[in-house]
Parts: sequence; C-alpha cells; structure tokens
Amino acid sequence: MIQADLNIIMPEIILSLFAIGALLGAVYTSKDKMGPMLVWATAGVFLALALWIGVNGQGTNPAFGGMFVDDAFSRFAKVAILLSSAAVLVMSQEYMQRKGLLRFEYPVLVALSVVGMMVMVSAGDLMTLYMGLELQSLALYVVASLRRDSARSTEAGLKYFVLGALSSGLLLYGASLTYGFAGTTLFSGIIQTATEGHTSIGLLFGLVFIIAGLAFKVSAVPFHMWTPDVYEGSPTPVTAFFATAPKIAAMALFARVLHDAFGSAVSDWSQIIALLSVVSMFLGAFAAIGQTNIKRLMAFSSIAHMGYALMGLAAGTVLGVQAMLVYMAIYVTMNIGTFAFILSMQKDGQAVTDIGSLNQYAKREPGKALAMLILLFSMAGVPPMVGFFGKFYVLRAAYDAGLAWLAIAGVIASVIGAYYYLRIVFYMYFGEVPDETLDKSHSPVLWGFLMASAAIMVLGLVNLFGIEGAAAAAAATLVN
Amino acid sequence: MSLFYIVALPFFGALLPGLMNSAGRAATAGVTFTVTLAAFVGLLTNLPSVLAGEVVMARVDWMPLLGLNFSLMLDGLGFFFALLILGIGLLIIAYGRNYLSRDDNMGQFFTYLLLFQGAMVGIVLSDNILLLLVFWELTSLSSFLLIGYWKHLPEGRQGARMALTVTGMGGLAMIGGMLILGQIAGSYDLSVILQNRELIQADPLYVAALILILLGCFTKSAQFPFHFWLPHAMAAPTPVSAYLHSATMVKAGIFLMARMWPVLSGTPEWFVIVTTAGLITMVLGAVIALFKHDLKALLAFSTVSHLGLITMLLGTGTAFGAMAAMFHILNHATFKAALFMSAGIIDHEAHTRDIRRLGGLRKLMPITFIIASLAALSMAGIPLLNGFLSKEMMLEEANHTVLFNSPWLVPVLATVGSLFSAAYCFRLIGHVFFGPVRDDYPAKPHDPAAGLWLPPAILVVLVVVIGVAPFLAEPFIKLVTASVLGDAAEVPKSYFKIWHGLVPALYMSIVAVVGGLIMLLIFKPSLRIWDAMPRPEAKVIFEAIVESVAKLARAIILPLHNGAFSRYAAIAAITMVAVGYHAWSTGTIAAPTREMQPATPVAVGGWLMLVAATAGMVMMHRNRLLSLILIGIVGLMVSIGFVFFSAPDLAMTQFTVEVVTIILLLLALNFLPNRTPVESTVLRRVRDTSVAIFGGLATFALSYHYMLRDAVTAPISEFHLANSYKGGGGTNVVNVILVDFRGFDTYGEIIVLGIAALLIYALTETLLGGPVRAHLLNRKPDQKRAGNKHPMMMVVLTRVIMPVVLLVGFYIFLRGHNEPGGGFIAGLIVSIGVVMQYMASGFGWASARLRYPYHGVIGAGVLIAGLTGIGSWFVGKPFLTSDFTYVRIPPFEEFELATAALFDLGVFLAVVGAVMLSLESFSRLARQSGGPDSEHALDIDPSRDDPKEPAEKEAV
Repeated sequence: MIQADLNIIMPEIILSLFAIGALLGAVYTSKDKMGPMLVWATAGVFLALALWIGVNGQGTNPAFGGMFVDDAFSRFAKVAILLSSAAVLVMSQEYMQRKGLLRFEYPVLVALSVVGMMVMVSAGDLMTLYMGLELQSLALYVVASLRRDSARSTEAGLKYFVLGALSSGLLLYGASLTYGFAGTTLFSGIIQTATEGHTSIGLLFGLVFIIAGLAFKVSAVPFHMWTPDVYEGSPTPVTAFFATAPKIAAMALFARVLHDAFGSAVSDWSQIIALLSVVSMFLGAFAAIGQTNIKRLMAFSSIAHMGYALMGLAAGTVLGVQAMLVYMAIYVTMNIGTFAFILSMQKDGQAVTDIGSLNQYAKREPGKALAMLILLFSMAGVPPMVGFFGKFYVLRAAYDAGLAWLAIAGVIASVIGAYYYLRIVFYMYFGEVPDETLDKSHSPVLWGFLMASAAIMVLGLVNLFGIEGAAAAAAATLVN
Repeated sequence: MSLFYIVALPFFGALLPGLMNSAGRAATAGVTFTVTLAAFVGLLTNLPSVLAGEVVMARVDWMPLLGLNFSLMLDGLGFFFALLILGIGLLIIAYGRNYLSRDDNMGQFFTYLLLFQGAMVGIVLSDNILLLLVFWELTSLSSFLLIGYWKHLPEGRQGARMALTVTGMGGLAMIGGMLILGQIAGSYDLSVILQNRELIQADPLYVAALILILLGCFTKSAQFPFHFWLPHAMAAPTPVSAYLHSATMVKAGIFLMARMWPVLSGTPEWFVIVTTAGLITMVLGAVIALFKHDLKALLAFSTVSHLGLITMLLGTGTAFGAMAAMFHILNHATFKAALFMSAGIIDHEAHTRDIRRLGGLRKLMPITFIIASLAALSMAGIPLLNGFLSKEMMLEEANHTVLFNSPWLVPVLATVGSLFSAAYCFRLIGHVFFGPVRDDYPAKPHDPAAGLWLPPAILVVLVVVIGVAPFLAEPFIKLVTASVLGDAAEVPKSYFKIWHGLVPALYMSIVAVVGGLIMLLIFKPSLRIWDAMPRPEAKVIFEAIVESVAKLARAIILPLHNGAFSRYAAIAAITMVAVGYHAWSTGTIAAPTREMQPATPVAVGGWLMLVAATAGMVMMHRNRLLSLILIGIVGLMVSIGFVFFSAPDLAMTQFTVEVVTIILLLLALNFLPNRTPVESTVLRRVRDTSVAIFGGLATFALSYHYMLRDAVTAPISEFHLANSYKGGGGTNVVNVILVDFRGFDTYGEIIVLGIAALLIYALTETLLGGPVRAHLLNRKPDQKRAGNKHPMMMVVLTRVIMPVVLLVGFYIFLRGHNEPGGGFIAGLIVSIGVVMQYMASGFGWASARLRYPYHGVIGAGVLIAGLTGIGSWFVGKPFLTSDFTYVRIPPFEEFELATAALFDLGVFLAVVGAVMLSLESFSRLARQSGGPDSEHALDIDPSRDDPKEPAEKEAV
C-alpha cells in the first residue's frame, strides 16, 4: 500500500532528495562555486522529471487515501511548472553570476519551491494544499530577497513575506472553517457537504477565505498590492520566476480547490471569481498605462493576465478549466520570452528597466525587436498570435457559462491593455532618438529563449502544438 | 483555382522579394508582380461560378473546438473586393517599382506589401469570423510595418503610432462582437451567421455586439470619431497611401459592414449610429480637405469624407443604399487611387506636395494633368465620369432618409458634403495645374516615365468608361449587391443611367458643383476665416486624451501602490470583510444548537481585563516595553481562561511559554529604542482604526456564530478519551496526544524548535562577526542602566530556589503522562529556572557553570526521541508505536513505565536546549553592547569588600 503511494509521489520525492543533496553537497564542498553547475543540474532534473511525468503518467492515481492525486490535470500543471522553471533557471544563470547573486542556495530554493508547487497541484486534501503552498511560499520569500545588500530587494521580500503570511493565515482560517463545517479535510468529502444553493454559511466563509488566500498567491486584485513592489525589487531572474511557475501552480490549485472541493456549489464561488477577474483585468490594464519601468509594467500585465485566467475559472465548466490551462501555458511561454528580453537589457553591465531605453531599438537589433513585437502583440491578444487564442478561449468559456458581461468586460479591458503593449512596440520602432542606447547582448541563451518564445507565438497558430487536447483531458478529469 | 491558393499565394510569395533582393530591383518587383498576377488570374478563374450566382467554398478544420475553421467563401461581394485588392495591387506594384528610390530596401517593401495583400484577400474571402479577425489584425500588423518603412520622417512616426493604436484597439474590440455573434448563432461561420438575422437582432446582447463590431469597422475605415489617424498615416510612401489608405485597408471596415449588413442592419441602433457617423465624417472630411495644403493630406481627408459617404449609405439600411454604396466603392477606388498616384508623381517630380508651391503644372506635366483632372472631376461629381453616377445615387438615397425625425437633415448635409467635395476637387485642379508656370519649384517638374503614369492612366480609363457607359458596370454591381443583401432584401430594379430626369438629386448635384466653384472663387478669404477659426484638432484631442488617461492612471495607481504596507493591509482587510459579508448574505445557516453560558462575574471581569489590556496595548504601542507587558497580561488572561474552562495542561503550557517568550522578547527589545516614532498622520490612524474595528467586529461575529453551533461531526476528543489509556497508557489525554497520538507531529516540532534555536545562534554569530559588532560596541542605550545589575536579593533567591525548580520540573515531567504536566511543560519550567540564574547572576557567572553546551542538549533530545521511535521497529511495530508496562521496585509502589516517557524526555531536553540556546545568543549580543561583563555574580558583595578575602575567589 505505502509502496504504491510512494511510487505515485516519486517525482516529488526525487526532487526533494535532489534539493537536499544539492544543499548538503554544496555546503560541504565548494559552496557558491557550485552555483552555475547546480543551476544547470537543477534545470536538468526539472526537464527529466517533466519528461517522465509527461510521457509516463496516465490515469488517475490517488495516493495516501486521496490526500494526494496524480491525474491528467496535475500532470499538465506539473509539466508546465517544471518546464518553465527550468527555462527561467537557465536564463538566470548568466545574470545572477554577473551580479554576484548566484549563491548555491538559489537553485536549491527554486527546486524546493517547485516541490511545493507540484504538491499544490496534486493536492486532494486541505492539508496537502497547505503544505505544498507553504513549502512553495517559504522558498519564494527567501528568493525574493536574494539581493540582501539592496534595500529595495529586502523590502520587497519582507513585504511579500508579511502579506504572504497574512494570506496564508486567511487560507488556513478558511481551511479550518471548512473542516469545521464539512467534518473532513478531504476534497472528496467536502464536495459532498457543499451543495448547490444551500451551502452553510460556515462552509461559505471557509470558501471565501480560501479564495482570498489563493487570490493573493495569483496576485488577483485587490490582493495584488505586493506584486509591483516585489517584481520591481527582486533581481530580474527572480521576477521572471515569480511571473511564471508559481502562477501556474497557484492557478491550478485554485482550480483544484474550486472544482474538487466546491465543485457542487459553483454558483457560490463563480460570482466571486468573476469579480476578482474583472477588477484584475481592468486594474492591470489601466495601471500599466502610466508605468515606465518595464518590470513594474510586467507586474501589472501579469495581474491583468491572471484576470483572464480567472475568467476561465469563473465559468465553472470543463471548457473554463481547459481555457484556463491553455491560457496559462501560453502566458508562461510569452513571459519567458519577454523576460529573456528584459534580462538582456543592460547598459555598461548595469541592468536597465526603463522603457525609454528601448527607443529606436529596432534600428539596432531588428531581429530581437521583431521577436519582442510578436510577443507584445501576443500578450495584447492580437490575432493571429497565439495569445489571441488563449484569450478567445477564456472569453468563450465565460460566455458559454452565461457570463457574457464578463466576456465583454474582458474585451474592453484588453482594448485598454493593448495600449501599453503597443506603446513599447512604438518606442522600439518609431521612438525618439534615445539619450542612451542599450548594449548589444551576447547571451545565446537569452537570445534563444526570446526567439523560441516568439516563434512559438507565431507557429503555434497552426494547432497550438496540440496543447488543446492535453488541456481538455486535464480539465475533464477535474470537472465532472 | 482553389480559394486556398488565392489567399496563400501572397503569403508564400512574400518570401520571394526578400530572397530576390540581391537580384536587382526589376527582379524583385517582377516576382512580386507575378505572384499577384497569379492570384489575380486564379481569382478570375472563379468568375464564371460567381457570375452564375454560386458561392464558391473551401474549408479545412483548424481549431474546431474554438469554432475557428479555415473556411473561405467567394461570392459577389468577396469577388468584388478581391478584384479591387489584387487589381489595384498590380498597378501599385508596377508604380512602386518606379517610385521607390535606389536607396530603399525594395525587397523588404514588397515583402510587407504582399503580406498585407494576402491579409486583405483573406479578410474578404473569409467564411469564418474568427478567421476574418485573424486576417483583420494581420492587415494592422503589416500596415504598421509598411508605414514604418518610412520611419525616418518624424511625422511618419506619429502617424504610425496613431494608426497602430487606433486600429489595433478597434480590432481587439471587434473580438468581443464576433464572440457574441458566434455564440448567438451557434457557429462562427459567416454562412450560418448570415442566416440568423432574427435570432441575432432579438438577442439582448445585439447592441453590445453591434457597438463592438462597429468600433472595429469605424477605426479601420476612419469614421468619426476615429477619423483622425488616417491623414496622419499619410506620411507613408505614396504607393502605400494609395493602396492601404485609399483603395483597400480602409475599405475593410466598409467591407465588414457590408458583409454583416444582412444580420446587423435594419435596426434603429444600426441606422442611427452608422448613418450619423457616416454623415459627420463625410461633411467633416470634406470641409477639412478643402483647407489642406499638402496634396496628400487633401486626398487623405477626401478619402475620409468618401468613406463617410459609403458608411452613411450602408447605414440607411435600404437595398438601394447598399447598391449605391457598392457602386461608390468601385468608383472611389478607381479615381482615388489614380489621384494618389498622380500626387505621388507630382511629389516625385516637383519634390513638393505643397499646393501653395505648385501651380501651372498643366503645361509642364500634360499627361499627369489629364489623368489627375479626370479623376478629380469624377470625384467632384461631374457628369460622364463615374463619380457622378454614384453621387447621384447617394443624393437620391439621402433624400429619402429621415434621421432624428428630420426629413431635411440628411439631404442638406449630404449636399453640403458634396459641395465641399466639389470645391476641393476644383481647388486641386485649379491650384496645382492651372495658373502661371512658376520658376521656384524645388525641382524642375516634367512628366515621368510611362512606368509611373501608366497605372493611374489605366484607372482613369475605367473612370471614363463607367462614367459614359454605366450599364457596363450595372450587372456586376447588382451581383455584388445581391450578395451583400443576402436574403434580407431584394436587389432594386432601378437602372444605372446618366440621365434620370429632373429629379431632386440632380438639383442637389447642381447646387454642389456650382457651390463648389463659388467656394474656389472665395477660397482666399475663406482660408483666412478658417485659419483664424479655433477648431479642435482631432490629433491633439487624441493625444490629450491619451496623456490625460496616462496621468489619471498615474494619479490613481501610484498612490495606491506606493509601497505603504498599512495601505495594502487595509485594502486586503476591507475586501475580506466585504467577501465575508457576501458569504453571510448568500449562505444558509442552521439554528443555534448551543445554549449561551451564564456570564459569571469572574468571567466578565477576566474578559474586561483582556479587553482593557488589548486596548491599552493598541493605545500605548509606541512604548515598546509597556506594550510587551500588556501582551504578557493578555497571555496570562488567556492562561487563566484555560484554567477557567478546566484545561490545566493548556494553562500550564501557556503560562510557561508566556514567561519564556516575554523574557526572550525583553532581551530582543533591549536593542531597539524604547519608543517607536510617530510616522502616521491622524487621518491615516483614523482610517486604520475604522478598518481594524470593522475587521474585529467581523471576526467577532464569525466566532460568535461559530461557537453557538455544534460541529457537524463528532469531535475527535471522544476518540482520544476512549483510547488514551488503552492505546497510550496515560490518562492525561493532552500529554498522550503529544507523545503518542501525534507523536510524529511532536517529533517534527522539536526538530523545528531545535533548528530555530540553531538559526538564532547562527544569526548571532554572523552578526557578531560582521559590521554590526561595531554598532553594538558603540551603542548608547537610551535608558539609564541600573546601578546594581545583579541585586543581591535576587541572586540569593534564585540560587536557593533552583533545586526546587528542578524538582518541580522533574515532578511535572513524571506525572505528565497521567496528570497535567509533561516533558514540554517541564522543559519550560526548568528553562525558566536556568534563565533566572542568568538574569540574576549574570551571563559570565552562569555560563562558566555550564557543563553541557546547549547544542548538545538539543541534539540529545532529538536523538532520544528518535531512538525511542525507532525502538518500536525492533518489536515489529511502526515507528513511534508506544508501549507501557507496570513495574514494581520493592521499596516503592507499583508504577508505570511507558516508552512514551522516554520520548517525553527527548521533548524535555530539546525544549530546554532550544530555549537556552536562543537566550544565550541574545545575551551574547547584549554583552557586546553592554560593555565588559562583570566577572562577579554580585555587584555588591560584602565578602569581596573584605580586603582579606581576594575577590577572585568568588568568580571561580
């Protein structure tokens, strides 16, 4: 019995052992000199695990009495988490090394947070959920303030920690209320007590507190306040990491809780999620207009994107979850490319984050400018870039679920949001002659990620690389 | 040829010019021309079926789940537009080859042009509205690249920005409209949607869909209030202006309105929005065009005006209006493209497009003169040219249109529009070609080579042919109209002819032409009036709007996200209360199942003290020491609460934990100033207070209701009570829970406790090794130190009491399994005893008597607990299974021995070690700052004052 259970969580065990081994190994040997090697090794392990999970996994396998579930949904999320984390790690190596930030703890912490994420998306129980979430968060708190000599980074990390702890507290409060009124922490048990129309208030309180806690993790408005500060304050590779894997994990966990535990009371949460979605989309779009720092801009952009993903969730249908998964996969791919670009923005060895420095960029580096143009158009949701398909998916799911107003609001928000993406394009192609120009970046890794991401945004329009089918299968296992 | 090839040809062909770039200009243009020609011929092969009234279809499933299919459809309307796009495209390519200078990258230009062409053809042949959207935005993208081709001109940059922003955003808005249409009709295929007129118009979201789609159409076709971007985009090279901004791209919006005509038109909303926008655009464009001095700007505004005219015709919602619109599209495409190309020729030859610097070109450029004049006269609506015919039809239609209940509004405005239209056409001819030949042209103008004038000439031939023999165009236009109307209306019977008799439209036409001539005569004075007149410049307004929105965004967002933590927390708290209220108001709640407890005076008193302490802490939180003491009171009250509810274990634990944490906190606070500075304003404090009160009340309400009801399932305590003795060998359930039921948990916890202590130790080490050390050494405490650090009474008392404390600890430990107590509490009690030694006698004295390092104590604790757990493996039980037995050692009574007690010993040691290690770490910091520690346990020691007794003796 226990053997079978352990087999199911084998990827998590392997990754944990790797992290512990890497930590001890580095402590007892060469410490920070191991940093670059560990980054690549960790990325390699991520990749191998993603392959293993993606190729090998099949069926729905509950472990530990249903507290941990390995199904198509969790596998989809895990593969996305592992791949994006691997990409961000590899991208960050050069930058971190240049800034002297490549401590050996960095890849280890990332690995640990990824373990947390993997547990999150497989959670079948409120306790598993909390355990995964905290493991992920604790590692991220440290990573956020990795640059200890910068007051900004430290402040960002501290703020993230305090607000994160607050939200964890809320979530825990919600979980205990849910337990108190459902009599169980197992999702499969909760779903039987939470029934459409006459959900008890205690359970509802539990639900809204859990939602609030998770909304913080996905940085949905109004729990988003930490996002711009942390995005801006953290070292750019860390920002890139924040913008990718944890978002998938939190969003997948969100879907899991809502459908697995509260799937029989869709009407109770659909409106709340829809509300979160609409304010996130609008605030993200509106706030980004006035930003000049590209990292802060990306923070608001990610807030808006989370709004769209939440729109899929708000639908409360199979199509909605599928749309959310497709959206997240596309979002992460776009963000990896964009951050590869942001990481390459530097002048005299100093990282530059001002949008103004991109003026007339197309003249100097036409290839990269074109790739960025594609990515920005894709993020704005302009057809035929892949970003459009993601957006259309969620809009359709929302409309189908009777949330036409939400879909229309989403369209209007995307019109507003398009402005700031297009503004960057405009700077790159038609900007004024800049006072200072960015250095040419010679990193083949960053270049490769940028180009690959842009290529995916264009080539993906053929069939979205078949992600639709995987997402559909994943969604089908979750919603029934 | 299959429709796929027609659409695909330009896209694949787009690769060729780039590849051919090095093969020379002629080869590049040639290959582009060939590709377009192939598509053109392919289109013509479908002519017979189109003429026969068939709809040619081609379909491949793309993303069926999304409703997106690659399905193409060729009917009259599509054929018409495709013909325009490819036909004019051919002429533009020929023209562009001669227009572009040697320095321009021709391969790049033609690549973009072909991409654009493919996208345009895609739009007009799409049978799927999502596919149409894809092509729609592709035109925005490729036009952006084409405009950007001329990026060295500053006004070109502005133009490109506006064009991209406006059309891009409009296109995104259209996504919403298409979504609604597709969802209502149940399919995203146009052929299905067009069948569902009633269903769509009856849907409550029809208006939303209409507005969103029209946003896309109006932005693309530069309709009021989005008309401003088009003239500014004219900074692009002339072939681009002629092709995109006159003949094709700006007609995409019109095309879509025509395409959607059967489902969207005919409602009051459609009529009012579309007709009004068209009418305003027509008049506004014509008036502005008259006063433009840049030839291309004049043509640009004239294009805006004519697009308005077509829009207005579509807006009327009648079959005749639609037919007139189709006819005018054809006519406008021919004469306007010819005019643009002529303007380009003039620019190319005279090196200026400023009308004020031109004049007299009639003699210098006779061929251009003839071409441009014929085209302009057609635009002015002079008989025997095609412009006249469609303008007559427009005026006729305007005559029957009643907008805002006024029968004269539309006719009068249409006439005014035509009048100004005629005026700028006459001005174009008069001021550019007539008048004296000047000698100050920037370059000597002469007619260009045939390559440049032939394309417009071909168009002008069409202008004249249709103008003279309208019946030639009639069957074709009627075919197109039929496919526009679909099943919604019949094609009108009226014939295309030059002479309709003395109808009102003719009078209006005459008024317009004569008025136009008069306007030309009084041009100079009216220009002065125009220049003096304050007029809102749409571009300035657009930029002001954008700027003010950005400002607004900054004004709202920056203060909101200024990094102030209290603000973030306040927003989160308010939201939580709000969603809590939502949950409260939507959920169901069962009746209370519990009785209220009687409020005894003791309970009320304790409660009041708790509240008073909490409130006092909030009020006096700036004094750190005081607030710490108040926290201590709160903790003690809670402990008493546990006693009150008969939970001695919890009370003891809480009590001891309280003492230890207060001491540790005291040590930590020692390094901070005693008072925190006032940083918040009164306003903020008021805000925070109200938020806090709200949050507190909400929490109170929640707990209140929670406590009134029994839990839904039987609490686990029943199980514990039943199994405590049977399974764990103890009657003190709390202790059995700790060491048995949740032994695993406790084991993990003591490890965590140990790690935390080690961490504090490690941090202290790092701090003392780093720059903080200097800070500490130089620190001036803000409070005066007590003169007597180690008061004698205290020293004596603590030493005397120490054995007692240890004994109590031992006792508590032993009884723990069956009575209140246990390893955890015992550990804390012993810790407190040892801490007292440190406090009373000083660090140096106490640590000198320390025999075992605390690290080791922690380790031993964890090890013992772990080994106890492992021990159960040897008897084939899982980790941490406990067992107990009764033994009797003769002098004593029979007593119980449980493995749990051994485990508890581990807990005890770990607790003592962890607490002491943290304390030690803190005091190491304190010693750094407090100067050299006294070597003596007592500052005032009578025995030391005795000269006979050496002081050192005491310290040993």
